[in-house]
Amino acid sequence: MKILLAEDDFASRKFMQKYLDKYGECDVTVDGGEAVDAFLMALEDEEPYDLICLDIMMPVLDGYQVLKAIRSMEKERGIEGDKMVKIIMTTALNEEKNVRVAFELGCTVYCNKPIDQEKFEQVLSKLKLV
Amino acid sequence: MAEDFNVEGMLDIFLFESEQLLDNLQDIVLEMKDESRFDDDSINEIFRVMHTIKGSSGIMMYEDITTVSHKLEDVFYYLRDTYPDNVPHVKLVEYVLEVADYISGELEKIKEGGEPDGDSSKLVAEIDSFLTQIKTGIIDSGEDLPPENEHQEATQFYIPAAPGEASKYFRITLHFFNDTQMCNIRAYQAVYELKEYAEDLIFSPEDIISNEDSGEVILQEGFRILLMTKSDRAEIKSILEKCSGVELVDIKESTAQEMMLGFSDDVIMEQPSPIVIALDDEEAKKAKEKAEAVTPGDYVVVKQDVGKKKQIAKHTKGPSKAAFMSVSVEKMDQLMDLIGEMVIAEAAVLENPDLKVPGLELSNFQKAAGQLAKITSDLQDVTMSMRMVSLQATFQKMNRIVFDVSRKLDKDIELEVIGENTEVDKNIIEHISDPLMHLIRNSVDHGIEDKEGRKAAGKPKKGKITLEAKNEGGKVYIIVRDDGAGLDKEKIYSKARQKGLIDSRSINEYSAKEIYQFITYPGFSTNETVTEYSGRGVGMDVVVKNIQNINGTLEIDSVPGQGSEMTLKIPLTLAIINGIVMEAGTGLFVIETSLVKEFVRVNEDMLVHEPNGEKYIMIRGECYPFMNLAKRYNMMSTESETIEDGVVIVMDYDGKNICVLVDKLVAQQEIVVKPIPNYIKRVRGLSGCTQLGDGSVALILDLPGLMLGEEKVK
Repeated sequence: MKILLAEDDFASRKFMQKYLDKYGECDVTVDGGEAVDAFLMALEDEEPYDLICLDIMMPVLDGYQVLKAIRSMEKERGIEGDKMVKIIMTTALNEEKNVRVAFELGCTVYCNKPIDQEKFEQVLSKLKLV
Repeated sequence: MAEDFNVEGMLDIFLFESEQLLDNLQDIVLEMKDESRFDDDSINEIFRVMHTIKGSSGIMMYEDITTVSHKLEDVFYYLRDTYPDNVPHVKLVEYVLEVADYISGELEKIKEGGEPDGDSSKLVAEIDSFLTQIKTGIIDSGEDLPPENEHQEATQFYIPAAPGEASKYFRITLHFFNDTQMCNIRAYQAVYELKEYAEDLIFSPEDIISNEDSGEVILQEGFRILLMTKSDRAEIKSILEKCSGVELVDIKESTAQEMMLGFSDDVIMEQPSPIVIALDDEEAKKAKEKAEAVTPGDYVVVKQDVGKKKQIAKHTKGPSKAAFMSVSVEKMDQLMDLIGEMVIAEAAVLENPDLKVPGLELSNFQKAAGQLAKITSDLQDVTMSMRMVSLQATFQKMNRIVFDVSRKLDKDIELEVIGENTEVDKNIIEHISDPLMHLIRNSVDHGIEDKEGRKAAGKPKKGKITLEAKNEGGKVYIIVRDDGAGLDKEKIYSKARQKGLIDSRSINEYSAKEIYQFITYPGFSTNETVTEYSGRGVGMDVVVKNIQNINGTLEIDSVPGQGSEMTLKIPLTLAIINGIVMEAGTGLFVIETSLVKEFVRVNEDMLVHEPNGEKYIMIRGECYPFMNLAKRYNMMSTESETIEDGVVIVMDYDGKNICVLVDKLVAQQEIVVKPIPNYIKRVRGLSGCTQLGDGSVALILDLPGLMLGEEKVK
């Protein structure tokens, strides 16, 4: 499985990377701008990501902007349904309005930090990623 | 829950909404329980509720809840199009309530931080076979089975933060020794040490590494840190104390809000801040929504300096206009206490002995005093009204209890609710909920006869329990009435004898009400068989104790064969009453103004002495029990005064009268009721005490106690 992780905080990034490594190859970016670039690059190489984990509070572009950009780029290219990349928002923001907007923009999972690893794994298997 | 409300986290919203839906569901079901079938509206509503819960629990990944609600949704899906005749309505009602209970139970577990681990398989299996039965019913009736209810798997999921110890917040100030060199570097080392334990950390001054002058500032003002951590205070303290040059570590508890504020304006926020629930007009609402709406780009991190919190692009503005807010009960209580103190202070000013100097010109003072008195009493009223809550929610709960218990006992009972909009102090609601539940259960269990019993007594098949609330004369009355068999006087009397609660007096020497009161004694239950709901002999005494805690009384009345009536009488306000202050012997007493019927001067001729020592007084041809208050409480002053010098107060309590002799009346004023301190034995006839304007203490009379007390004194 090919994973992209966008996370600006060093400690979280280190933890997430270690955690995700066991599921597959994990690329890491430190801001939202890079994340969009990485997504596009992978698309062009025809090796798209299977899973993208996005922090929300990030420099350059925030998680919402990245999410929106990815979904519209997919739409433009006719990528639909199961072919769409699974996006997990990983963030400490837990207010209902934050979650709702993320769902409206088309994220697959909204995961609050600190991450509940057991549930995280459950979700991955539900999404048939593992 | 209320405290967490302002977080408005996803999980809270899920719990809140689901609970609302379930309440709604329960109301619909209870309303329809006596019909022969659910009508179209209720079917649609139940279907909708289950559909919503199924959807949201799917997103939250609570699979058992999803499965159960899905099953029930299916049932109503089939009922929606074709309602076959073979649906046992009562069974269906039970299933819906069972599902509601199951889900509420699971929600409760989630709320307490646990996992919803209740086993749903049995319930699902039961409903499943019920569903099959319905389907056959549809086929039998010759209709086509509607297409399968399509179940869409949730495609989006929410994972709440991993449960764990809650983070703590600390506000720390480090003071260095006066001659310490390079404080800034030492401060940074302290920060570095803390980083390992910190989840988040902000400090001030911020530029400790780049700006050498900051060392000076730290020496002067100390080095301030806001810390979010899972470690405890002692641990943090020991880490910091090990740092070189540190003279003093000052650690204070802090909050998430303070952490959010950082050192930006250095306002220490009081913690549960008021939350805006509603706005008064549409426009303001829209403006607020707009201000609060999350749009992509709001969370771009603009800069993050060392020691500063992340700055995000959007500036959140405070809500513009608020028409409602919720306030913590604690603060309301504080306010109430303060007003009580203010009433006392007011009296201390207005009744000040310094003003009693003869010949003082006080007309301006009196004018101002009048104004002050008006404002204080308005303030009191407003505060009281802020604490008022309708009884509706409490009464609604009783509906469910009647339904559950009567079904289990196979009785057919209807609950009539009157005056559920009556408002009472929030404090009172908390205290009456349990007693009321108990009274209702008792009525269902012991009060109403079983089916055969009612038939034999020639009563309608359906039993009736009436729950009534009303406001009268500064008191709330809550009445539970049933049309059952009533209380058995003889049975209660003999049982009371057996338990040794009664002296040698025969049954005829007690009034019916007095005998009924025996059932409120600890360990008393005439019911031979203990049922699941009542009869264990604990209960009525607990009810009475609870009611007494809020200065209320429980009165029991009954007509054999026709039913019984339990009346809770609770004073509307617990804190401040309007009272009359009077002097009797060496003591000061207060009686609530509303209880006083009249004041009369009497003479010795009007007194009637009974041989047993009891005294009565004849006033305009009516005979009242009489008592000398000073004598009753052994507060006679040395010079014995004659009855002609005193004033007799005729008081009325619940239809009974009593006359009390006092030496003189002092004043009528607002009285702040304070409990009699624990170290003083409870004295019958006194319900509390108060402090008067001049600092002296007066005792507040409790009429029912006073009336009872006579026997004991004798």
